[in-house]
Amino acid sequence: METGRYILRRLIYAAIMMLCTSAVIFFLINSLGNPVELMLAETPGVSQETVDLISAQYGLDKPLIQRYFIWIGDLLRLDFGTSITYNLPVGGMIWSWGLHSMQIQIPAIILSVAVAICAGTWAARRQHSRQDFTVMGTVLLGQSMPAFFLGIILIYIFSFVLGWFPSYGAISTRRLLWGSALFDGLWHMVLPVAMISMFNIATLTLLVRTNMIDTLRQDFIRTARASGLKEGEIIRRHALRMVMLPVITYVGLLLGLMLGTSPVTETVFTWPGLGALYVMAIQQLDYPLIMGISIVIAVMLILMTTLTDILYALIDPRVRLE
Amino acid sequence: MNASAQIERSDVISTDDVILAIEGLNVSLPAGMDRDHAVRDISVELRRGEILCVIGESGSGKSVMSNAVMGLLPPQLKPVAGRIVFDGRDLLTEPPEALRDLRGRAISMIFQDPLSALNPLMTVGDQIAGVMRAHGVGTAQTRRARALELVREVGLPDPELMLLQYPFRLSGGQRQRVMIAMALALEPQILIADEPTTALDVTTQAQILELIRDIQRRKGMSVMFVTHDFGVVSEIADRVLVMEKGHLVEAGTVQKVLTRPEHPYTQRLVAAVPRMRGDTREGMQGTPVVLKVENLRKVYRSGGGFLSKERRVVAVDDVSFELRKGRTLGVVGESGSGKSSLGKLLMKLIDCDGGRIILNGADVAAMPEAAFRPYRKTIQMVFQDPFASLNPRHTIGRILTAGPVTYGETPGVARAAARRYLDMVGLSASAFDRYPHEFSGGQRQRIGIARALMFDPQVIVADEAISALDVSIQAQILKLFADVQAETKVGLVFITHDLRVASQICDEVLVMHKGRVVESGPPAQIFLSPGDDYTRRLVAAIPGAEITLSHDGSPQP
Repeated sequence: METGRYILRRLIYAAIMMLCTSAVIFFLINSLGNPVELMLAETPGVSQETVDLISAQYGLDKPLIQRYFIWIGDLLRLDFGTSITYNLPVGGMIWSWGLHSMQIQIPAIILSVAVAICAGTWAARRQHSRQDFTVMGTVLLGQSMPAFFLGIILIYIFSFVLGWFPSYGAISTRRLLWGSALFDGLWHMVLPVAMISMFNIATLTLLVRTNMIDTLRQDFIRTARASGLKEGEIIRRHALRMVMLPVITYVGLLLGLMLGTSPVTETVFTWPGLGALYVMAIQQLDYPLIMGISIVIAVMLILMTTLTDILYALIDPRVRLE
Repeated sequence: MNASAQIERSDVISTDDVILAIEGLNVSLPAGMDRDHAVRDISVELRRGEILCVIGESGSGKSVMSNAVMGLLPPQLKPVAGRIVFDGRDLLTEPPEALRDLRGRAISMIFQDPLSALNPLMTVGDQIAGVMRAHGVGTAQTRRARALELVREVGLPDPELMLLQYPFRLSGGQRQRVMIAMALALEPQILIADEPTTALDVTTQAQILELIRDIQRRKGMSVMFVTHDFGVVSEIADRVLVMEKGHLVEAGTVQKVLTRPEHPYTQRLVAAVPRMRGDTREGMQGTPVVLKVENLRKVYRSGGGFLSKERRVVAVDDVSFELRKGRTLGVVGESGSGKSSLGKLLMKLIDCDGGRIILNGADVAAMPEAAFRPYRKTIQMVFQDPFASLNPRHTIGRILTAGPVTYGETPGVARAAARRYLDMVGLSASAFDRYPHEFSGGQRQRIGIARALMFDPQVIVADEAISALDVSIQAQILKLFADVQAETKVGLVFITHDLRVASQICDEVLVMHKGRVVESGPPAQIFLSPGDDYTRRLVAAIPGAEITLSHDGSPQP
């Protein structure tokens, strides 16, 4: 009952937030001026009549407010318009490029959480020991390395020197690995996934370690010890649940941002992901594409944070009351 | 075991009666502490079916000793000598796995703060069943049935529903009952209780003490009960151990220790126990009114948002009183009575929802902050926690002078005043350049009082100003309040949960319950012939009525 009302409230907040975000995206991008004019500005010999004609073709002659509602109406029917540069439906493009992004992001996030929970807990239980310093040092090194630099190092070692993994693309263009698209795809994923994971692992390990140290000092852990629970049980049943709360918040953010926000990784590995597409769209001033990807990123982020809030409330009963 | 519960409380016992023997226990402290041993050469015997109280002030080593028995000492504290013998085994040399098996099964423990001692993310039922599962007892069904039985046994309401509750929904007393249910799950032979009622209201404390007493009798359990409160000792103990700075200074039956203490420290401690006073305090009469409160009201609202019902709690309901110059008004009540909200309203730390606060002839209740600013000097506060209420990075001098200087006093004058008030509260002028961590709790509370005095206020609001202190320190700080009042003629609003303390310092007492004043009058009337039911319950719940009665016969230090 209480939980149901909490979830409903979160969902309504999310809907309101999406509406606001869509307005910001639309008006911000359109405040730059008439896209047709901007695109044809460097093309000589284009008359004003031509510009007006093309503008009318895209519906750009209507008032801004009216265009906003037309755009929202189209979005609700999942019609994102047509890309100017590629002349393809934007919706379909976001779908296929987005799937490629998720193909490396989701395994990276799962891997990161698994590694971070183990490493963070391990370090927390040995606070200030040599092992703890080793873990922390590695983590800080990983976190402070620039993304493109890490990518280049990975390519140099594992692709150029050792030749174990391909350095670019999502699939082999000539012969598939072991003749299987599945294995070939996995083979191509290894390096990009490793690169994204390293950053996530660094942040998440710090998060897990700090919270674990804090939780293990709590009185209810002492109670669990006084009740004769085994150390492993105390970690699994009592401490980890507490530690998972901030981890869920952070992972929710990672999932929310997984589309279109890793242009560096995708560019370094020439991975056909949404981030790389987004950068291209901006360079080409491809308005429908820019607006489509922007709204998808925003909606994804709002959905994931809402989901995080709900999950949080399911774990921590105290939250539902607020 | 039930038969052994009937053992006479005598000093002559056979070894069969001893269930737990601590022999020559030494626990060392890490280097750099004020002494090198947390406990030194302690020998204690816990007998079958008795309640043994271990009493001492903070730093006496009483908790270290009880945690040593459980094998729960933090790694920096190491037992360096002695034995703890239980069931023919020395617990100090047993392997960790054997100790773990004993914990919760043969020896259980309950703690001071039942909220933080329970896992906030787990239901009551899961936590009780968890103890049984940890020891591989029963199946999920039998564990649940047993949990239900335990919840009934400790007197929790709606047992079925209770198993599904989360700790944050329960009251302090209910949480402590859940802790007790967990501790009893596997019928241990020994229960160690570490200040289990210290965080509870006095009426709740009485119920929990009764419950522990009752369970102990029924099961013939042995209880080691750690406390700092002689009132509690007199209610529950068979025998008492007195600890001071890691040493065992006195041991004996409860009657002997309370009425004929031998060691000077025990004598001082027993003498410092606050007692109910029935006489009216001699103070100033007919002085002008410095603070007048009329029909003050505060309602807390929460959750009044979208799709959620607004929750309203009336914290202060129609409270009126007058405080005269040089007089002390006590506000007593249990947690949730609204006494602290009243203090915050007087300080204008929160806004009121109605009523008048007349300070210096002006109604400040509805004043905006800017208009109230000049009046703030006339009303000052002393806080409960002497550790949290002083900025650890500021010198005492800076802490004292910061207020007056922001109100336009020249630093020179403020510094001179600070030295004067440090002297008044019994600290040397050298305190001026030192930092809070260099002082003890009692000394810090003196600094807090000096800070309140810096503005030469007409009213000081002291919110539980001595509750965090040891009894011997409490007595000193109470005396300081009286001295300061005699010298400065300040009006004092003294908020406390401890009726005995209120009876010692107040000219008039307001008893608050659920936001309302249920009774008011001089302490003699309130405490000796209470007119209201709630006041009567409150007075009856004060632990240690026997010691109060033996007031005249109590030892003089």
